[in-house]
Amino acid sequence: MPEAIQIQLKRGVLDLCVLALLSRNDAYAYDIAAQLAEAIDMGEGTIYPLMRRMQSERLVETYLVESSSGPPRKYYKLTTSGRASLAAQTIEWTAFSKAVNTILGEPQ
Amino acid sequence: MTRQGFLDTLRASLRGLPPTSIDEVIADYEAHFAEGLQAGRTEAEISAALGDPARLARELRTEAGLKRWELERNPSAAVGAIFGILGLGAIDILVLLPILLPVAATLLGFSITAVVLFVCGAIVFVLGPFAGLGPYIAALMFGGLSVMAGAVSLGALTSLVAIGFVNALVWFGRLHMRALKPILDSSEVRS
Repeated sequence: MPEAIQIQLKRGVLDLCVLALLSRNDAYAYDIAAQLAEAIDMGEGTIYPLMRRMQSERLVETYLVESSSGPPRKYYKLTTSGRASLAAQTIEWTAFSKAVNTILGEPQ
Repeated sequence: MTRQGFLDTLRASLRGLPPTSIDEVIADYEAHFAEGLQAGRTEAEISAALGDPARLARELRTEAGLKRWELERNPSAAVGAIFGILGLGAIDILVLLPILLPVAATLLGFSITAVVLFVCGAIVFVLGPFAGLGPYIAALMFGGLSVMAGAVSLGALTSLVAIGFVNALVWFGRLHMRALKPILDSSEVRS
């Protein structure tokens, strides 16, 4: 697959993945970056501009938690509108991936 | 790249943003390095995984510019937001110029007209009593006042249209940023 398409696909679902991770547990940015970098092989640095955007769109909120080792960690949690956005994007994603799979002729 | 090199480049590329925002961003990446080092990675590994600090700074700047425009509707915030979007390549300047220039020129024309009308109205209003036309003094003064009032409403309308115009640009830019950014990224990955 051409590199450009691969990166576009990842970029497109990055928002959705971050929302989904946060819906399970609140997390700090390094943790989110590490999980996503491993799972979908993306640049870890992009997580910070993304988190800032989500924060300014009020999809996530932050709070500080004292850490036993080092400075306090900034945790992110979903807001109500973050949950709503996750639900809407999940529906969109499911419909889209189903459609693509059907075209590709793969078993669902 | 070392931790210090990464942070220095990032800080340099963020110059121009409010110092508190820069400190917050730097603190985020400092924390990232601290976590990574604790997890047993080297500085070089961490900064390689983070990506190009100059490009990250460009994304953060654009976000900051858009946020500022949302908070304060003034010409400098508008310019910041527009140039942020253009800088990311979210809107092609060549596509945009033929639309942007006439609209901007028209808005500028309207605001200049509003100012000139206001000044003329004020002159008529102030000089009215000295015109020596006896019965027409009141008429002159009221005429001057109404021209001033008209100028003010023209100015207000023009700013409303201008705000709407920049909002539309920002909306358009945001829409396209998601679509175009991956292409930009991939060209930088290859280079």
